[in-house]
Amino acid sequence: MRITQRAVTLTSLQGLNRNLDSFSKLQEQLTSGRMLTAPSDSPTGTNRAMQTRAEQDATAQYARNISDGQSWLNQTDSTLQQMLNVARRVRDLTVQGSNTGAMSDTARQALAAETSTLRESLLGMANTTVAGRPMFGGITAGPKAYDTVTGAYVGQAGAGTEMLRRVSGTDSVRVDISGPEAFEAAGTDLFSLVSRITTNLTADPAGLEQDLADLDVVMNKMKSAVADVGARSARMDREADINMGQGIALEKGLSQVEDIDLPNMMMRLQMQQTGYEAALSATAKSISPTLMDYLR
Amino acid sequence: MSTFSGLNAATTALWANRRGLDVTGQNIANVNTEGYSRQRVDLAAIGGSAVPAFFSTTTGIGQGVSADDVLRIRDIFLEGRGHTEHANLTQATAESESYELVEQAFREPGSTGVQKMLSEVWSGWQDVANNPADPAARGQVLKRLETLAGGLHFSQEQLGGQWTQTRENLAVLVDDVNAAADNIAVLNVAIQRATQGNLPANDLADQRDVLVMKLADQMGATVRHGKDGLLDVIVGGITLVSGGSAAKLALAGTSDPDGTGSDPMRVVTAVGNLNVRVGGTAGGQLTAMNTVIPGYRTQLDEIASNLATVLNTAHAEGFDRTGAAGGPVFGSSDGGPVTAANITVLITNTDRIAASGVAGAANLDRTNADRIAQLAKTAGIDDGYREMIVGLGVQSAVSQRNFAIQSSITSTVDAARESVAGVNLDEELTNMLSYQHAYAAAGRMITAIDEALDVLINRTGVVGR
Repeated sequence: MRITQRAVTLTSLQGLNRNLDSFSKLQEQLTSGRMLTAPSDSPTGTNRAMQTRAEQDATAQYARNISDGQSWLNQTDSTLQQMLNVARRVRDLTVQGSNTGAMSDTARQALAAETSTLRESLLGMANTTVAGRPMFGGITAGPKAYDTVTGAYVGQAGAGTEMLRRVSGTDSVRVDISGPEAFEAAGTDLFSLVSRITTNLTADPAGLEQDLADLDVVMNKMKSAVADVGARSARMDREADINMGQGIALEKGLSQVEDIDLPNMMMRLQMQQTGYEAALSATAKSISPTLMDYLR
Repeated sequence: MSTFSGLNAATTALWANRRGLDVTGQNIANVNTEGYSRQRVDLAAIGGSAVPAFFSTTTGIGQGVSADDVLRIRDIFLEGRGHTEHANLTQATAESESYELVEQAFREPGSTGVQKMLSEVWSGWQDVANNPADPAARGQVLKRLETLAGGLHFSQEQLGGQWTQTRENLAVLVDDVNAAADNIAVLNVAIQRATQGNLPANDLADQRDVLVMKLADQMGATVRHGKDGLLDVIVGGITLVSGGSAAKLALAGTSDPDGTGSDPMRVVTAVGNLNVRVGGTAGGQLTAMNTVIPGYRTQLDEIASNLATVLNTAHAEGFDRTGAAGGPVFGSSDGGPVTAANITVLITNTDRIAASGVAGAANLDRTNADRIAQLAKTAGIDDGYREMIVGLGVQSAVSQRNFAIQSSITSTVDAARESVAGVNLDEELTNMLSYQHAYAAAGRMITAIDEALDVLINRTGVVGR
């Protein structure tokens, strides 16, 4: 094949351009720190990167859901514990009041006055709100779970109204417990019972025996509610751990797909630079000489 | 045979070698000129009279050398391949550029694309599910829905803008092609006259070849050689330049990016409105405008319409803050079917977000918000979008690879053309030396004959003087 000066120049120029092109591509990847700048850089990598990014967003949301749920469960737990303490006090007073014969009417009235106050305090606690919502009120839009005067349940609870928090792609955990579930259903609930005890302390001390038995039933219910909430809270903690682990794994996965491998890139840049310099010096050597240099 | 024929032969040699030096000089001068074909003096020995006659006889020794013709060295077959491969290369360039621009319109993978906006919408619905009473959470999801609609508008506008720009570029290119065709026709006439007048037209032919190559780049032209140096240029089966006359091309088709289905973009003849199957840059741009960009615009429209349907259906199953059933979330701003260009959020009041799944009086249930949040997995919108982006990546990677392959083929063909038509300085210098030496030798020849004649004229007949 006949080779001409212009052909040599063009080929050299093309080679140099190609070299410079890969050089600038590497440099771009190094300065941006990213392997993937367009889907065509690696379609499969893009697929994984987009999937991972979506999962990352979901995982971050699950983490928010979990911490929100934890705060619900913790507040429910502490409120139930306090209410149990108050219920124990009511039980003590009822036991005291059921000792017929040893008590004067005045003493009974004093006991009744205290249980009445305790009932108010129980109702107050049962209306505790989390983020503006009564925690035992189910899905009610109102400000209270129990009417503070009558003690009737005004919340909206029942099947299908559980308050859940999504903790992973597949699982949701319930974070609330409704009034009837914690304090028995209307009629036999804690508040009407305490109200009955208040009446019976003065009016029918003999009836207190039955009240005591009923109170035990309600308190057992409350204890199991505490246990239930505690178990769910433990589950939340576990989910939080899993979520965090997953978040780290996803971050790592995304970085593997999208981010550059620095030592590898530096090495390649170095090699590219060597290649480019070699091409430059080869071009300088091959373009300059002609027969002219050797003719007298 | 004449006494002075030796002088004459030497004179032709002087003249021919000087011609050779001139041509060498021209070659060296144009070593870097684009499109220049090297020239060579066609030397031919002048023989004696071959026709026998009574008194005119020949000794069989020639009469010197003739250097009438200066040839342009160029391989027509290689030129033809050059036209084809150049057209393929520019077509591949235009196509891969259009894919690159489509990729830019979607900005994926990253944290600014539609994918991220979708993720944020689903997260926003979970926030509403966590706290249905909170107007901030509700307001946030509304803003995120608006951002998503804005993101779809943006991508669609980018694609539309790209389409319009490509159309304008093609219109300019068609004008350019018409001008080049006119020039070729003018050159054709000049070359024809020169050839008929037996004058060299090598440099005009070079100029014409450059223009033809430009046409091949722009529209994929091929050529047909005629007599008297004429050259016809054929584009997509239509004779664009025929001798001294050039046809005109025009751009036809819709000016609306969405109208290519019924009225596709095409290049036609200005007279007769015949469809021209063009290649080169124009071919690539037509593909971009008729297939690539409308394809992605349609897919984006489908995603928007799908999103609106799915979200509206799910939202209608829920109940808002006042207990009323949920209304549509997305609609179109112009009353037509929902597309990526007109999708808009219809809800303005945060209370109208239907987070509750429990009918009846107003309540703070979260089931419907949660159900909507789960659409991320079940509705297939994110998957559909991702599939489109991955498909785009594959297409774009393929077009880039085609471009790389074609560019190496084209450079091989260019190298082959250059190896025939290009100027090699070493060769020219060697030629220069040989012409120089031949010139010197011819000069010496004249001296020799001069001395011989001197002997004959001045020294004969003086014997014994």
